Amino acid sequence: MIAAVALAAMLAGAWLAATYRENSSRAILLPDQVMTLFPAPRPLAAFAFTDHENRVFDLSRLKGKWSFLFFGYTHCPDICPTTLATLARAHENIAKSTAGAKDVQFVFISVDPNRDTVGKLGQYVTYFDTSFLGVTGDDAQLGKLAAQLGAAYLVAITPGMENYPVYHTAAVFLVDPRARYHAVFAPPLDAEGISRRFEVLRELEGPKAT
Amino acid sequence: MRWRHAVFAGLILALTPIAAATEEAGISVRDAWVRETPPGMAMTAGYMVLQNKTSRPQVLVAASSSGFETVMIHRTVVKQGMTGMEHAPQIELLPNASLLFGPGGYHLMLLNPKRTLRAGDRVDIALEFRGGLVLPVACEVRK
Repeated sequence: MIAAVALAAMLAGAWLAATYRENSSRAILLPDQVMTLFPAPRPLAAFAFTDHENRVFDLSRLKGKWSFLFFGYTHCPDICPTTLATLARAHENIAKSTAGAKDVQFVFISVDPNRDTVGKLGQYVTYFDTSFLGVTGDDAQLGKLAAQLGAAYLVAITPGMENYPVYHTAAVFLVDPRARYHAVFAPPLDAEGISRRFEVLRELEGPKAT
Repeated sequence: MRWRHAVFAGLILALTPIAAATEEAGISVRDAWVRETPPGMAMTAGYMVLQNKTSRPQVLVAASSSGFETVMIHRTVVKQGMTGMEHAPQIELLPNASLLFGPGGYHLMLLNPKRTLRAGDRVDIALEFRGGLVLPVACEVRK
């Protein structure tokens, strides 16, 4: 039966996340190349950032909601605006789903606090979606969270160079409402690919994730 | 994964009939657009599909725009799991082939706009090829 569903998905020409129900109760999410799911989600350890409204953004802010996290910087002409626009569309899709988007937040983590002040971050993220949060912190705090997610970044600050290069992991990390690292979406990202899989995952995890 | 995707996209686009092509000396451009700049940001990116319809390679060596102080040819690359940009001093367009400038791949990095750009506006970009050919490209600003 699982094979049949997988085959049907392949025949449909797409790697779509699909649910399989056994005795009308248990469902599974088929693995694919877009979303990597962790069978044993890892609880995250403490970190402390500041959000774009100057509030503390720490581990407690990840509790009670599904959080989509993306590392980037605002002086990024290509991959960051592309990803944020994709996440804004994914958010719209999730908001239209039966369960809605009340238990979901999207967080842009700037790895370039040198240029990304909280004021600039707010202007930037809310342009893509008024509900988006921009957060940043010092290198030690950024490193603490990045290391737990397997994310990497490099800010090559160069004296006299205004547009110094920044490198960062372009994946989108999904943290569940118990602040556990639950899944990761690999680029290239598309809105439907994210929202469809997330909706299935949320339904499957249900109350046990909250 | 990213590059496989870009190659597929390029192939699909190469097979699509050309619509509203700007044509000059066998090189055409279509679907040229510039991303609207978020407030307060002084940079954005330009994308397009370039097609070399000649039987010789064509080399893109520079780009400029009346709407921006600086235009650079860039490529988004993934190194050691990290995404970043690198400057592409020149790009060779193979004979009878298309090249995609798209999100996550080649793009024109546009710095310091001379005015605020909004979706629906037009940006003029000039692409310069080896041998002196300059191709004017009208890009639509999109959100």
